[in-house]
Amino acid sequence: MDSILSEKHRVVRRSVRRFCERELQPIAKEIDQEARFPWEVVEKMGRLGYFGIQVPKELGGAGLDSLSYAIIIEEISRVCASLGLCVTVHNSVAVYPILAFGSEEQKAKWVPPLARGEKIGAFCLTEPNAGSDATGIESTSIKDGENYVVNANKVFVTNGGVADICLIFVQTNPGADRKEMSVVVAERGTPGFVVGDLEDLCGMRANPVSSIRLYDCRVPVKSLLGKEGQGLRIGLTALDTGRMGIAAQSAGIGQAALEEALRYARQRRQFGVPIERHQAIQFMIADMATLVDAAKLMTYRAAVLRDRGKPFSQESAMAKLFASEAASKITDMAVQIHGGYGYSKSYPVERYYRDARVTRIYEGTSEIHRMVIARGLMR
Amino acid sequence: MHIIVCIKSVIVKAPEAGMVRSHDSTELNPFDRPVLETALRIKEARGGIVTALSMGPESSISAISEARAMGVDRGVLTCDPALAGSDTLATSTALAAALKKLAPFDLVLFGTRTSDSDTGQVGPQAALLLGIPLVTQVHSIEHRDSGLYVERTADGFIEKFELSFPVALTIHPASAQPRDIDLAGIGSAFEEENTKIWNLSDLELSPDQVGDAGSPTKVLSISRAKRHKKCEFLKGDALEQADELIKQLTESGMIG
Repeated sequence: MDSILSEKHRVVRRSVRRFCERELQPIAKEIDQEARFPWEVVEKMGRLGYFGIQVPKELGGAGLDSLSYAIIIEEISRVCASLGLCVTVHNSVAVYPILAFGSEEQKAKWVPPLARGEKIGAFCLTEPNAGSDATGIESTSIKDGENYVVNANKVFVTNGGVADICLIFVQTNPGADRKEMSVVVAERGTPGFVVGDLEDLCGMRANPVSSIRLYDCRVPVKSLLGKEGQGLRIGLTALDTGRMGIAAQSAGIGQAALEEALRYARQRRQFGVPIERHQAIQFMIADMATLVDAAKLMTYRAAVLRDRGKPFSQESAMAKLFASEAASKITDMAVQIHGGYGYSKSYPVERYYRDARVTRIYEGTSEIHRMVIARGLMR
Repeated sequence: MHIIVCIKSVIVKAPEAGMVRSHDSTELNPFDRPVLETALRIKEARGGIVTALSMGPESSISAISEARAMGVDRGVLTCDPALAGSDTLATSTALAAALKKLAPFDLVLFGTRTSDSDTGQVGPQAALLLGIPLVTQVHSIEHRDSGLYVERTADGFIEKFELSFPVALTIHPASAQPRDIDLAGIGSAFEEENTKIWNLSDLELSPDQVGDAGSPTKVLSISRAKRHKKCEFLKGDALEQADELIKQLTESGMIG
């Protein structure tokens, strides 16, 4: 696979892989079991540029391209999908919208600490009654002098438990068209900003997913991102990039599952030979490798299009749909190859299996992606 | 101050059949990483530039790129079909020619060994061909106005040397923990093309000095060594077995 990449992208992969294998591999199981956010590694990643991958250097970032971004998310997720999730969400749907829609003043204020990982970002769209139907949000932000008074109830917020800078999707004009939503940036610590309990999740357990609620929370009017009514566009633009990240994450989980399955199939003996000699196992491994390859290629294509300034929304949606469904299939086969041991926490494939499942749900379900892709074709 | 670090792109997996060096099968020799770290620390302390020098097929540029991402200023790859099949002497001949072309330099650093061939000969041979002093297995370096104080451990003794430039060192792999590569550093390393490729005529060498022709040794074949496992059951009750186990471990030098 790496033969098609440039020298720069190969160095990106090797560097990130070395770091993750040394720093994250030894604790990946433990932080999953304990549902613990690994601050000790996050701080190091912050210093190395992982929280500002595509942020220009003058704003404290690494200034890399989208293909590097995809490779980095893939490599982190290969070792620890929970942290891959943290990094992709922070970069793609928290930092990037501020870069793309923020004023110079907003960028100067929020981006440098986010890019250095000193502050963590979150994207707060989902509500108890608004998931796939994002326009159904009920959170409000009503102007009162120099402030907005925000009342919001956001759930399943990735990074929620540790986020400092949150993009909150609200209705600024509750009586108007539901699509006329807006985004305000609220900072943890503002009176009325409440972080709810962490979700006890099936997978991605090292990510502090929580609810975030704002009760009569007063945020300055200058915290509005873009213009009033521009929220849906901001959200969809962010998700185009975010989906590429989830596709990369899914490819990384698939890669890990494939490697574990190969290792196990070589070592496990049944009927007098290593099980890798049995055709039933070989067929599964061939399918897994093919799915991983296709997932990566689709993700890289979306990334390269983005780097070339070409439309990539459709390709990003296809990559996310395919890679997330592939990750579920691949991790399922990895468990199957491991037999009973695959269902045990003694082996990492059960973690990959649990982690993969949610990639078909968040940042747009598979069903929503099919709608988006079909709509793109029928324009 | 001009520091040159000689690095190698090594084969990652032991070859089953013919050896093919490609982007997917090679990486920067892990024993060279502490050497690069040492060079960068010296540069940070004394200023100057660091050049990474390597010899190999074009895929070896990966190793140089990684060195540049770590912070090395520029890279030089000596690459020519005539270099194929070079043994350690022919490799040292080509590297020494490149080093002469890169002169003036103050310090030439090598790893102590490579993970794929493990001869440890190239550093000493290149220093000899250049006619500069050499200290091997250096594990600590102190700066002095006009040169360096270095230490090496050999046969249970610590040797200290005072050196003036130019000098060559092979650096012990435990001497420095290589830094993590900063993502911004990768972008910077590739923003401008700063790796030169030199062929045989650039080095003013003739084909008979290098490659198969210039190599007094030849690798005839490579095959996987068979490891012989021996399993011995200790006899007696638990106490006797424990005593016997301790005796055997002590005799074999594993404990005590």
